[in-house]
Amino acid sequence: MDLAEGFRNHREKIVNKWVEYTLSTYVSSGFFVRERDTFANPVGANIRQALEKLFLLLSKGADAKEFVPPLEQIISIRSVQEFTPSQAVAPLNGVKHITREIFAADKERKQLVNELYDFEFAVDLAVLAAFDIYMHYRERLYQVRINEIKSGSHILTDSRCPSNLLPEKKIIL
Amino acid sequence: MAVPKLEQLSKSVVQGPSLATGAIPTMDWMEYPAVFKSGNYAYPAKSEKVAYLDSQSGLHFPNSREWSPEDDDWKLPADWKEIILKGLKERLEKFRSLKIFMDCCVRCGACADKCHFFLGTGDPKNMPVMRAELLRSVYRNDFTLAGKILGKMAGAREMTVAVLKEWFMYSYQCTECRRCSVFCPYGIDTAEVTMMLRELLHLVGVGINWVLEPVSNSNRTGNHMGLQPHTFKDNVEFLVDDVESLTGVRPNVSFNRKGAEVLFITPSADVFAEPGLYTAMGYLTLFEAIGLDYTWSTYASEGGNFGLFTNNETMKKLNAKMYAEAKRLGVKYIIGGECGHMWRVVHQYMDTMNGPADFLEKPVSPITGTVFENAASTKMVHISEFTADLIKHGKLKFDKSRNSHVKATYHDSCNTARAMGLLDEPRYILDHIVDWVEMPENTIREQTFCCGSGTGLNTDEIMELRMRSGLPRANAVKYVHDKHDVNMLACVCAIDRATLTSLMDYWNPGVRVCGISELLANALVLEGENRADLDDGFRTML
Repeated sequence: MDLAEGFRNHREKIVNKWVEYTLSTYVSSGFFVRERDTFANPVGANIRQALEKLFLLLSKGADAKEFVPPLEQIISIRSVQEFTPSQAVAPLNGVKHITREIFAADKERKQLVNELYDFEFAVDLAVLAAFDIYMHYRERLYQVRINEIKSGSHILTDSRCPSNLLPEKKIIL
Repeated sequence: MAVPKLEQLSKSVVQGPSLATGAIPTMDWMEYPAVFKSGNYAYPAKSEKVAYLDSQSGLHFPNSREWSPEDDDWKLPADWKEIILKGLKERLEKFRSLKIFMDCCVRCGACADKCHFFLGTGDPKNMPVMRAELLRSVYRNDFTLAGKILGKMAGAREMTVAVLKEWFMYSYQCTECRRCSVFCPYGIDTAEVTMMLRELLHLVGVGINWVLEPVSNSNRTGNHMGLQPHTFKDNVEFLVDDVESLTGVRPNVSFNRKGAEVLFITPSADVFAEPGLYTAMGYLTLFEAIGLDYTWSTYASEGGNFGLFTNNETMKKLNAKMYAEAKRLGVKYIIGGECGHMWRVVHQYMDTMNGPADFLEKPVSPITGTVFENAASTKMVHISEFTADLIKHGKLKFDKSRNSHVKATYHDSCNTARAMGLLDEPRYILDHIVDWVEMPENTIREQTFCCGSGTGLNTDEIMELRMRSGLPRANAVKYVHDKHDVNMLACVCAIDRATLTSLMDYWNPGVRVCGISELLANALVLEGENRADLDDGFRTML
């Protein structure tokens, strides 16, 4: 029984637990886990899709660059929600522990727990990449705010009619 | 070292209790206080703006002061509780709908997962049923027998400062988009519950600047920006110059012209801010193409009615201004531009507030002879209805290839879709002028998702909140962007044009936002035109 087969057999179970663990960081996690329609439940569905993709990449030893699209799918959302940076990325790490627990509970595959070094190293790389992506999206958010201010929308309230720019007191010549 | 358990992982990262611990709430929802911190609330209204509004005829904005949501003490008037309860009593007597909405909810939960704020935050108090419950619990406590006797067991609670703070937080995490009401089997309009919450808060001087400053500007000069007549006129004339340099045809415009057949009113954002400017250039081009006898007004220079986001008296006053101007100028009827909540006010509230507008005539298109029976009472026709009718009668000539740089999708603006049923006219226009695709079914038409920044929440200090409440909309746009290479999000609302631009810049860079009239003008073939090759339509820099 090799590791690849272990991942294949337990993939669904691991991913499901990972998704549930990640979504448990929301108060209304029940709905986010249950509703599968991407458009009726963008947070839950995007996180599920992304973790499914990411797990495949992590378990097959893909290049870390390939982690970026699924990580963006998750972190773009979590970086505008009320999480601290560590809270935003913490659930990614959870897959290491979930995988160990599931393998350890499987009598035939217990020994695979000792072969998880590469997988766990890949998870570490994904978590590091997630910090970069978190910062990227935070910077994008600030840029959007700056763009809005520059575009003139702020004139709606934050500026005055040009006539108000004239001095309030009459200048005596 | 032992392998840390999963539970310890979240604890090791997160200090203290928080959402990321995934802990099951052990307290009743009523016991969770609203916590204000930078980024999760819009700035309070400036004291002088509130005082100014309170001094104006027909308006009531008492208790102006400097205060901050982050302070423990909001400097409420000493008798704040009496003011709120008296205000609620008056409104329950005045608005039968409010009384019904308070009584008839059975908490079936059909609305719970339909709100974009809930979907983006996962905060249970953003479920429409719960948002209404914030008010309903106080209603039960003071206005129902069961609540008076059973108290908390009957879902009742006393009005306290903490409750008031909760009202402020969640009535400004609702854009009154009314998506939830589509799914309510009883037809409860939760937006009207939010409206009442905001009205009550204004009684004790609690409101936000992004709403009250535009309201005060509109009351003073007629538009959100506080533009004075000469500035408004100059801006429109700049746009006339632009249309001329792009097409070789100079649109005729007039201002405050008595005896014109039609008064045209649009959001002032269309005449001063990108990308609305291009939509306004579209109106000018269209009206020139058909030779419409119309005028702009520098007094009714705003379609938007932020009064809708404050209280019914202000909404009534700002709406009345448009009709007063129509009467003064002696026009036959009004054509309204691509605005959102202006149309909600006109279709849902105008008739009982200021209507019927009997001094105007039932709108008839001077070009096609079509009678707009749907506007028989309000005397106000939507530009898309008017345009679709022109196309239906073959009065406009298009070269669709002029929009070949665009692959569009259509965002149903909440107010026009759900509050006036304008669903097919914009689509009919798009069919004739541009290559476009629909977003998924449960995100369009009556089920459209809000931009996330309506009702005066389009301010930059709550950008994160706007991005998460706009996620359901952006997520559907992403789908058509990835699948069909959509690069333009068309809509018929000025707030949408401003806020969806930011939403796209965050979630879907490469997707721009435009009004329908901009795309229309791109494709419109004008008599006597001398048009350069405009590879970006009306946005081309010459």
